[in-house]
Amino acid sequence: MSAAVRADGSAASIDLDLDLDQPAPRRHLHAVAQVRRRPRFAYALVAVAGALAIGAAQVVLSIATTQGVYEEAALQQQVRELGWQQQSLSDAVVGLSSPQYLAANAASLGMVINQSPTYLRLSDGAVLGSGEAAGWLSTVDAIGRGSVPNALVAQTPLVTAPDATIAGAPVAAEADPEAGVPGLPQPLADGLPTPTTR
Amino acid sequence: MTSTSERTPRRRSAVALMLVLAVLAAFVIRLVDIQVVNADEHRADSMNLGFASSRVLWGERGSIVDQNGAVLAGSTVLYDAELDPSLVAEIKRKGPDGEVVKVPWEDVAAEIGAITGQSPEEVQAIVANALAVNPEARWAQLKKGLDVDQYRALADLRVPFMFFTRHPDRSYPDGAVAGNLVGFVGAENTPQEGLELSMDSCLAASDGRERFERGNNGETIPGTVTTEPAVDGGTLQLTINRDLQWYLQQLIAEETQNMRALSGTVTVVEVETGKIRAAAEYPTVDPNNVDGAAPDDRGSRIFRHSFEPGSTFKAVTAASIMDGGSATPNSTVQAPSSHTFPNGARINDAVGHPLTNYTLTGALVDSSNVALSMFGDMVEPAVRHEYLERFGVGAPTAVGFLGEASGTLHPVEKWDNQTRYSTTFGQAFTVTAPQVAGAYQAIANGGLKMPIRLIESCTTPDGTVIEPELPEPQQILREDVANDTALMVENVMAQGQLQKALAIPGYRVAAKTGTAEVPAPGGGYKAGVYFTSLAGFAPADDPKYVVVVTLEEPTAIRSSAATAPAFQKAMTQVLKTYRVLPSSSETPLLPRYQ
Repeated sequence: MSAAVRADGSAASIDLDLDLDQPAPRRHLHAVAQVRRRPRFAYALVAVAGALAIGAAQVVLSIATTQGVYEEAALQQQVRELGWQQQSLSDAVVGLSSPQYLAANAASLGMVINQSPTYLRLSDGAVLGSGEAAGWLSTVDAIGRGSVPNALVAQTPLVTAPDATIAGAPVAAEADPEAGVPGLPQPLADGLPTPTTR
Repeated sequence: MTSTSERTPRRRSAVALMLVLAVLAAFVIRLVDIQVVNADEHRADSMNLGFASSRVLWGERGSIVDQNGAVLAGSTVLYDAELDPSLVAEIKRKGPDGEVVKVPWEDVAAEIGAITGQSPEEVQAIVANALAVNPEARWAQLKKGLDVDQYRALADLRVPFMFFTRHPDRSYPDGAVAGNLVGFVGAENTPQEGLELSMDSCLAASDGRERFERGNNGETIPGTVTTEPAVDGGTLQLTINRDLQWYLQQLIAEETQNMRALSGTVTVVEVETGKIRAAAEYPTVDPNNVDGAAPDDRGSRIFRHSFEPGSTFKAVTAASIMDGGSATPNSTVQAPSSHTFPNGARINDAVGHPLTNYTLTGALVDSSNVALSMFGDMVEPAVRHEYLERFGVGAPTAVGFLGEASGTLHPVEKWDNQTRYSTTFGQAFTVTAPQVAGAYQAIANGGLKMPIRLIESCTTPDGTVIEPELPEPQQILREDVANDTALMVENVMAQGQLQKALAIPGYRVAAKTGTAEVPAPGGGYKAGVYFTSLAGFAPADDPKYVVVVTLEEPTAIRSSAATAPAFQKAMTQVLKTYRVLPSSSETPLLPRYQ
């Protein structure tokens, strides 16, 4: 309060000077001084609160970014591991999708490539082409004379003939008593498989 | 006037001032040197000091895929394991209850060997040998080319003196399928052959780098990361169909063996677009195992070997004389089986026959060299030369395959008396199999010659599709002349000797054989062996695909009949692969004699 009094006093001395020309402004000054006095405290509060808020926000942001960095590091590690996993899996199947592997598997099941194409036209049921059945022999011998090498599956036994590869050569197969009869599906152990429905 | 006593201090201060200024100037110069002249260098130094950690961001070399997107060449990663022999010792591990267990080096070596497939003795020997050479050795190669599973298993052993280098590798899932086209890469993915080399600008990747500061626990300090991103390679799509390519490679391998030939090729071109759907050959290379192929078999014979086409180009001669209006399919000449022309050139037919009134069609069906020479004389040699050029002889195809042969076509001024006639039946110039396919594509496509192509597009990582720049299609024949020629080639098949061998039930097929002599190493021609070929298209009533089969020096059957089984099976498979419907009409037969 004392500061306000001193301010009044100085204001009064200015008034004295101004009174020489204009007599009115004392009331005007007084009112301004009173209006100013109250907000100064409020401003200080706002400023301090603002500073605190900024500080708090900075701390929160900093914690959040640090946390984000840890999360990012963890996620990147996950990306790396998934990348390895993906590569490992694709390395495992690469070559198995090749046409020579598929054809050798099909041929060992006794499937043949038909020589004469025949089509059934759906609109009128007409048979187009020779209409002959496939012969006993395939047009190419995919397993007996496999001639398109693929080093990726050169040693991989065929799914349908575990003692042969795409080159038809016998592989050194280890006898596995639980594997069942070669070329036949695995024997059922737990009854018929049932689909899971939800 | 000032006295000496006054001047001396002034001079001193002046000298001092000068000294101060000189030193200041030196500082300023040095400052400018640091801040302006060498600023970049110092900034880089500070980056290296401050941003202590960095990581390579690996770019992945692009894939090569077929017509349907099946991968013919893809990227993978292999690892090399290395040891620091000077640090090799027992290692400490945490046991199941958290206590520290010491594992002796012998056991560690056994664990490592179990993963890398080496015996424990081998692993120990690597270290022992390195230390024997240099007792302070810091490096020894443990094993190269480990796959990702082995790498992870080794890393999980947490052996402090073992480290790894990663290097990109290439895998070819389909093995030798299209190996002659795709080519292969060497160490560190350096392209060496085929499209891998010629299309490297599309496929190559560039590695990036990420620089950052690390916190105590290895985490990246926020705001310190600078990244140069890696750029992956583009995806190269070919016009090849890999299933068809496999079938034809298997087929030509069997046929080459059956006919006891040196090599064989099958080329398939789509009539409407000029796209090569298969380019199979035997013997060929498995890019996964380049060393398994003889050096001569590692490239593409189809594009690099040129040969005298022989009779397959009689169809081109017929088209050339008909296009100017000099002849029709029914024009006739009277031809003996051997004839000496006014300029002294002597031409013989392969098979003896009495004097015959051949139509142009009949001359093609019986493949009479004499009759074709007589028909060829209906136009100037320069005209025939121009048509040979139009059909693509003497210039490489639009494919632009690495090392592609252009074939040889001598200028017409250099044609001698014999050449003037031998060019009418496909001799005295050379072509590649794709050039033959290109010529037949034009005949089958109403005279519109499409540029032959092998590359569909290159798709960059941002999705931009870049198609190769190709020359404009050219109308090299009048449409009716092309159709007449196609019908004549169909009659060659329907009325010729190979009709039974080439027939595909339900389809009209056009085909012409060719037998060329093979130059002998010492000059002249080899006796009794030929380079045989068969070119044709189907269905002849609405041609969709051109197939060209070649066999080099077959000996089981020495004539061009050797190529018939391969052509018949190849064409059948092409028609099945693309679900081409059977023909609904019969071949209209043209008269052969009059």
